[in-house]
Amino acid sequence: MSGFTASFKDRADAALADPILKVAVERTAGTAQAKRAVAVEAFPDFEAARDRAAAIKDHVIAHLGAYLEEFEANAIAAGARVHWASTTDEACRIVIDICKAAGAKSVARSKSMLGEEIGLPHALAEAGIGRVETDLAEHIIQLADERPSHIIWPAMHKTREQVSALFKAKHRSPHQEETIAAMAESARRELRTQMLGADVGISGANFLIADTGAICTVTNEGNAELSLVPPRVHIVTAGIEKIVPSMPHAIHMLRMLARSATGAALTQYTTFYTGPKRVGDRDGPEAMHIVLVDNGRTKMREEGLAEMLRCIRCGACMNHCVVFRQIGGHAYGGTYPGPMGAVLTPVFDGLKESRELASACTLNGKCQEVCPVRIPLPTLLKGWREKSWREGLEPRSMRWGLGVWAWVARRPALYRFGTGVAVRAMQMLGKTGWINRLPLAGGWTQYRDMPKPAPQTFMNQYKKERRR
Amino acid sequence: MSARDAILSRLKGAAPDKAEADALLVAPERPMVDEDALEAEFLARLALPSVSASHDAIDTIADLPAAVARYLDAQGEARSLCLPPDPRLMACDWRGFTLHDVAAPDEAAALAIARRGIAESGSLVFETSPQAPMLPNFLTLHHIVLLAVRDIAAHLEAAPLVGAQPRAHYWITGVSGTTDIEGSYVRGAHGPRFLHVILLREQ
Ligand code: SF4
Repeated sequence: MSGFTASFKDRADAALADPILKVAVERTAGTAQAKRAVAVEAFPDFEAARDRAAAIKDHVIAHLGAYLEEFEANAIAAGARVHWASTTDEACRIVIDICKAAGAKSVARSKSMLGEEIGLPHALAEAGIGRVETDLAEHIIQLADERPSHIIWPAMHKTREQVSALFKAKHRSPHQEETIAAMAESARRELRTQMLGADVGISGANFLIADTGAICTVTNEGNAELSLVPPRVHIVTAGIEKIVPSMPHAIHMLRMLARSATGAALTQYTTFYTGPKRVGDRDGPEAMHIVLVDNGRTKMREEGLAEMLRCIRCGACMNHCVVFRQIGGHAYGGTYPGPMGAVLTPVFDGLKESRELASACTLNGKCQEVCPVRIPLPTLLKGWREKSWREGLEPRSMRWGLGVWAWVARRPALYRFGTGVAVRAMQMLGKTGWINRLPLAGGWTQYRDMPKPAPQTFMNQYKKERRR
Repeated sequence: MSARDAILSRLKGAAPDKAEADALLVAPERPMVDEDALEAEFLARLALPSVSASHDAIDTIADLPAAVARYLDAQGEARSLCLPPDPRLMACDWRGFTLHDVAAPDEAAALAIARRGIAESGSLVFETSPQAPMLPNFLTLHHIVLLAVRDIAAHLEAAPLVGAQPRAHYWITGVSGTTDIEGSYVRGAHGPRFLHVILLREQ
């Protein structure tokens, strides 16, 4: 579900003008970056481990259909029901129908980006089904009626002061002390009874294990288990790319995920659910439904974005992205922010609406350097830029400007004349070695100076040298 | 065409070669663990700030109630305990305790037996069964776990059961925590705030 209410430029401008946002994003992303560095350093051979993780995902993507069928057969054998959805609407309809058939009045939801992607919160609201977000950050977002701004820390854009005010306004018995611990305690009090009273628990899946039919969730808070064990029905919505062949494959990916996301060796709670409650079990749901969602993934595989299907949603690329660190997640406008979001959003929301995201990148390659599954994010972003150009989506002024440049560039004499004039003009603009005001580029020189070019163009100097 | 057929028709391809999938797992990179000092390795991970569990040790399971009492007393908690219907636990002498087998929403302490401990991460491994409900381990404030030293393995690959899977197989690596507000770490977000491992050293 996207939020393209303004242009990317306007959203980015608004984000840059917000002094609190930058502080909030820096606090969390900075900590995550530092912790990851320590964890990676301590791991015996993280580079080889990244190769392996990428190879595991590539193997799965190459044989995705067969692994999905294997997963389906094993999940059914364990007593789960498996549903398939090509689109977001289909996925939501399936979930709502299951909730209605179960007579559900309230659902407890454990954070899932796929749920956000398909617009599940909105669909539940439309169906009149109460929703309790149980992840602390998602709870904050729900109370604030906002959208997640990060895939691991959805409330990253909020400062403690903002959270405190929110809880005081909305919680039944809010915290008295102004500490983060007291705020978390307030949420614990608020959420526990709601979780235990839910009719249906809804989660995503970090991994789907083909050879057992199990789905895996990871959380630090334990909210997934508290949301999924008490209700009568457990619904899982998962992207079809979440498959791994077996538990040992999942184990390798889990080692990579936790270190890349939070710098821990493992997330506090890692749970594999295989089907519903068994005979004699004291807890667990009576029914388990798994909704396998395509929503453009098969198309990505066919159309040059197969590498993006490796993504395990760790968030490292955004924590290390200079652009994300400046503008936060909301400015990206889609479900997924940062570099991975800039690659994914055109798939889900259309290139026309989101083509600017591919340009919100310095191509410094930091995201690719930290990605645990070695996704060549800058290359994929460049692919979107090219496609946008081919399809004529760039603004007319840019197409016209580049057209003029190309016309001139094909005429070397004219080109040399032009650059010679430009160099001489720029010489006059800077008294020292720097130019601090440039006509037609005031936006650029408002915050930075530009080095004065050499007194002559390269070609002029070259000719002179040859004559000597 | 059903969504299932539509999706699978776009994903047609050769069935995966089992050998190819297995080859991806040869000599996996993983944290180094001294296999001759598994208990010490496990305890070192248990003490890490990200796990922050306390521990105690006993020589026979008959000493378990005394160890639990020691812990609860030190924490200033009443000797009240949610005890799963596991015959090994029920065989202990729990005189002086108030026991119940269903966890209250604000349960103070619950006991469970871990099937394995994993040294590489300090994880405790559990499965659900009629004798082992899951919910108490997440509702309780103090989670007390019995782990036999001989069940400590070096790596996570030793965690899963081979063959038929239980309804839930889960790894607990520390207390419930959150970094959702400004990235600062707080214990006891939704689940246990304290994790206490009692090592059983009996041979
Ligand atoms: S693209 Fe890579 S770094 Fe970014 S979220 Fe996905 S797996 Fe993590």
